[in-house]
Amino acid sequence: MASEASLGSTSHVQAKFFTKQTEYSIPDVPYSLPISVSPKELNDIVHSVLYEGDGEKTASFDFLINGELLRSTLEVYLEDKDISIESVLEIEYIERQAAPRPEASLSHDDWISSVRGNNNLILCGCYDNTIKLWSRDGQCLTTIPGHSGPVKCVTWLRSTGDEEDEHLFASGSHDQSAFVWRWKASKKEIDCLYAFRGHSGSVDCIAANADGERVVTGSWDKTIKLWTADNNSTEQKETEDSETLQQAKKLKSGGHKMVTRVPLLTVGGHKEAVSAAVWLDDSTVCSASWDHTMRVWDMTRAEQTQIVEGSKAFFQIAHSRLSNLIVSASADRHVRLHDLRTKEMKGTYTSHAGWVSGVDWSKTDEHLFVSGSHDCLMKLWDTRSPKAPLYNMIGQEEKILAVDWSIPDLMLSGGADNQLKMFNYKG
Amino acid sequence: MNSSGKRKSMSPDEESRESNEEESPLLTSQIPASDDESGASEESEDEGSGSDESSSQDEDDVGEDTSDDSDSDDESDNDAGYDTASVEKDKSAADPGTTESSVNGKDEYEYDSSDEEDVRNTIGNIPVNWYDDYDHIGYDVEGNKLIKPKQGDALDEFLEKVDDPNYWRTVRNKFTGQKVILSEEDLKQIQRIQSSTHPGGSDDLYAPWVDFFSNEVMEMPVTGRPPDKRSFIPSKWEKQRVGQMVHALKMGWMKPRGEIRKAKLSHDPNAPSLDLWKDDTESDITKRYRMHIPAPKEPLPGHAESYNPPEEYLFDEEEEAKWDGQEPEERRMDFKPAKFSSYRAVPKFEKFINERFHRLLDLYMAARQRKMKMNVNPEDLIPKRPDKKDLQPYPTREGMIYKGHKDMVRTISPDPTGQWLASGSDDATVKVWEIATSRCMKTIPMVGKVTCVVWSPNPAVNLLAATVESDVILINPNVGDKLVCSNTDSTLESYVESATTSEHKSPVTWSTASEADHKKGVRLKIEHQQEITHFNWHAKGDYFATVQRGSKGQAVLIHQLSRRQTQAPFSKPKGLVQRVMFHPVHPYFFVATQQHIRILLDHFVLEVFFVQANCKYISCIDIHPGGDNLIIGSYDSRLCWFDLDLSTKPYQTLKYHKKALRQVTYHKHYPLFASASDDGAVIVSHGKVYTDQLLNPLIVTVKILRGHKTTNHLSVLDCKFHPTQPWVFSSGADSTIRLFV
Repeated sequence: MASEASLGSTSHVQAKFFTKQTEYSIPDVPYSLPISVSPKELNDIVHSVLYEGDGEKTASFDFLINGELLRSTLEVYLEDKDISIESVLEIEYIERQAAPRPEASLSHDDWISSVRGNNNLILCGCYDNTIKLWSRDGQCLTTIPGHSGPVKCVTWLRSTGDEEDEHLFASGSHDQSAFVWRWKASKKEIDCLYAFRGHSGSVDCIAANADGERVVTGSWDKTIKLWTADNNSTEQKETEDSETLQQAKKLKSGGHKMVTRVPLLTVGGHKEAVSAAVWLDDSTVCSASWDHTMRVWDMTRAEQTQIVEGSKAFFQIAHSRLSNLIVSASADRHVRLHDLRTKEMKGTYTSHAGWVSGVDWSKTDEHLFVSGSHDCLMKLWDTRSPKAPLYNMIGQEEKILAVDWSIPDLMLSGGADNQLKMFNYKG
Repeated sequence: MNSSGKRKSMSPDEESRESNEEESPLLTSQIPASDDESGASEESEDEGSGSDESSSQDEDDVGEDTSDDSDSDDESDNDAGYDTASVEKDKSAADPGTTESSVNGKDEYEYDSSDEEDVRNTIGNIPVNWYDDYDHIGYDVEGNKLIKPKQGDALDEFLEKVDDPNYWRTVRNKFTGQKVILSEEDLKQIQRIQSSTHPGGSDDLYAPWVDFFSNEVMEMPVTGRPPDKRSFIPSKWEKQRVGQMVHALKMGWMKPRGEIRKAKLSHDPNAPSLDLWKDDTESDITKRYRMHIPAPKEPLPGHAESYNPPEEYLFDEEEEAKWDGQEPEERRMDFKPAKFSSYRAVPKFEKFINERFHRLLDLYMAARQRKMKMNVNPEDLIPKRPDKKDLQPYPTREGMIYKGHKDMVRTISPDPTGQWLASGSDDATVKVWEIATSRCMKTIPMVGKVTCVVWSPNPAVNLLAATVESDVILINPNVGDKLVCSNTDSTLESYVESATTSEHKSPVTWSTASEADHKKGVRLKIEHQQEITHFNWHAKGDYFATVQRGSKGQAVLIHQLSRRQTQAPFSKPKGLVQRVMFHPVHPYFFVATQQHIRILLDHFVLEVFFVQANCKYISCIDIHPGGDNLIIGSYDSRLCWFDLDLSTKPYQTLKYHKKALRQVTYHKHYPLFASASDDGAVIVSHGKVYTDQLLNPLIVTVKILRGHKTTNHLSVLDCKFHPTQPWVFSSGADSTIRLFV
């Protein structure tokens, strides 16, 4: 087949085009395409059929063969997959998304360790022990000092209050504690509601469940702790074991008027620092660690239900509620795709030149995710295109330490150059 | 000849035949004239014998044309006897009329016409049983059927058997079906044949043999034919056959007859074999045959030996003079090439005998040795190297660069939890980095160049030791677990100086840090007299050892943190101490001098082990976490692995570096070790130590990591493994720290 294909550009292959987007559907007729055709030319073909000379060629398309994005010429693809040119190719085309547009760059005083967006608010954890709250359009709403060590992780919990203008969020820090804060948008007021104390190492990851009432933190002390951010469960404290209680009391700083909470639950099993934790559903947490494993925990029964062995230390994981898949960033150049239902890895996405430090799924498209790396690039990936990312987002001048795509049309990256970069994405 | 007189019943036709035949033997036996005459004279003397020796002899010699010889003498004629024998043998249908006296004669001659020479069955020499199913037995000359004579039935047979006294010597002529009674003479002849004696009953079996066709050239040869070529060429096929037989004899496939007989006699198959220990290897002769070494072949003649060599082979005058002047041993060739007009003109090879003699001498004298060739694949001799993929994980590429120092980073140390990395630099600072992000968390200024930073291995304290010139400074960097940090401070503060410290003068001064220093994190300071070149913690974190430059008696000092005491264990160390180490498990103390490593036990008195390093100048050592293996690096760019259980000599020496080694280090958990060198490379090797004592460590170099730039002939100054991950840190003269993952 390969020799045939290389004989000349005269080789043709039969192909049918179809799409699931009904507004762009074209007649189901097989076309004979020269195999040297590239996605751009395919695009022209579809255009010519679709618009038939009408002026407005608004949409451009990406092409999928067997669920994989066509990024090279057809010839290369066919050779790669060892598909005979005799067969009739079924080419699906989807509307191509526009490239992300760099929007704004928000300056910080120190390295940004974590970024999280929520509706119109952006939360940044910094190495200068502060948390910065930004509005969607780039205004610095407030800077929250409070931690005594670099903030390592932030997360949004929920929005409460009348008119949904009270927003709760949590942050974890090197000072071994996590705080829950409340931002009153109308009054521009920040309150510290709870302090979660009990970890004996830096709190490296924090995650809240869907209703924002339960929070898990993972720490360098190899444990995962479950906390409650519920308003009316203060009596929880007394039910905890005495040791952590003492420790918590000891560490309790008198300055704040907040309530110090001890963990509802501590689960241990990781042999190294816990670097990432996500909620899979209301009772299940998946954690990733430097000991090269991901573990799934049932928080109601406080036990480990599953373990996934990796080959490198994990730095970050992200879980997609749409596809129920997990992408992981670890101490190498690859982004890996896991399906917890199977043991095997589902895919490896290699394009970064440095360590991948952050990953996040799109909240609207089950195929898209972003990754940020120490090579200063944020990349937008399609799960169907493992060899090359869709877009590289340049802008960061130093290592990217955190990426976020919680706001569907806004991709965020922050890193060691103290800048928070925003990229607009019309999903 | 003269037997005619004895004939009693001779038919007239036979008479005539005999007269004819009388001459024929004479015709054929003309040649042996002398014998014949003597025979004739005998005959004349003894007529009664009736046997003609010479004629019978003649007939034997000449051929078988006497088969139908009609000497039909019943009693004594040899020829006749011979004839009956031929009848016996069914050779031919012998003349029935002469030799057989028919039982019922009239049958035979029933239709016989007297003038016929012979009454014969004309079917020829074919199996008679072809006529078994017919009434006739053949045809006469006229084509009439010869009807089978009537056969008697079993009763007739029986009656004959009973009545006929000649029944036992009655035979049937198959060709005619007639019964023939054998005469006395016939019987005698049969007996003679049966006893394998001369059928003719000749008395003189040993008459002299007349070799008519002898090898002697006769004046009057029997034939004038020239002798055949084959008669004087030894037979090729015979030779081959003989060769085969000899081979078979040698191999033992064939045995000489005598041996077979002997074996038959000696070996009773039923008798049990008594010789249990008999050597069942092959016999000497077959072994020798199988071990036969062919004589070396003589080289084939070349162009120079030709009778008509090309011009360039012929000697010119100079060459000839040279050849003549040389001793025979020195000559390049032992003959002069010569040209002849034709092959015919080539003279006899004068030195033929000489040459043959030398050849034989060579064969005889030269010891021919059987070379035992071993067909060994050279690749099989190389020990099996495991695949690199199987040895993963190991660091493969640069993962992170820690930038911030302004001068060369001499020393690095990851903290036991693996979250922090401390580094000491020539820019007089100690920095603490977050490993995962390369964030510099703390910068602690010092007063001079930092030569050593080491985290305390004790997990209960958070203590970093740094050596600055002649001081050891213990720092609480205040990173990591707050509880541990505060514990560290409280334990250090809880020390109360005992009054009895001044027994003898301490070689160092312990002092707590000033208020300003305390804020920076400095807790304790131990002032030495000389510059400190090396520092090492004990595995428990209470003791530590320092090496001072110069001062002889106090080169090695052991300090105890909890009691703040110092002792100098060696009054006089042998050699210039380079490094010291505590054994991770046992109370051993390693002292590396320039060329030796001493392992000391029991308050540094008893020397338990003495390692002779195979290098000129030891620069660094490290002990395997298991405690039984040791690697040393030297300034002459070698890395030696010692198995302390095995030998005092290096188990393996690796010479992969181009320049002096600066640091060697083991990984705490993974079977890895790394070496850093001035050539800018960090070489990571797989060094697996088996718990099985029988297995030697497996050492495979897996990766050469480069990244640091060389400045002032210095490149990589330190390398350390991450305590938990398979990562290696290296610090260099280019003021960076690199992490390879």
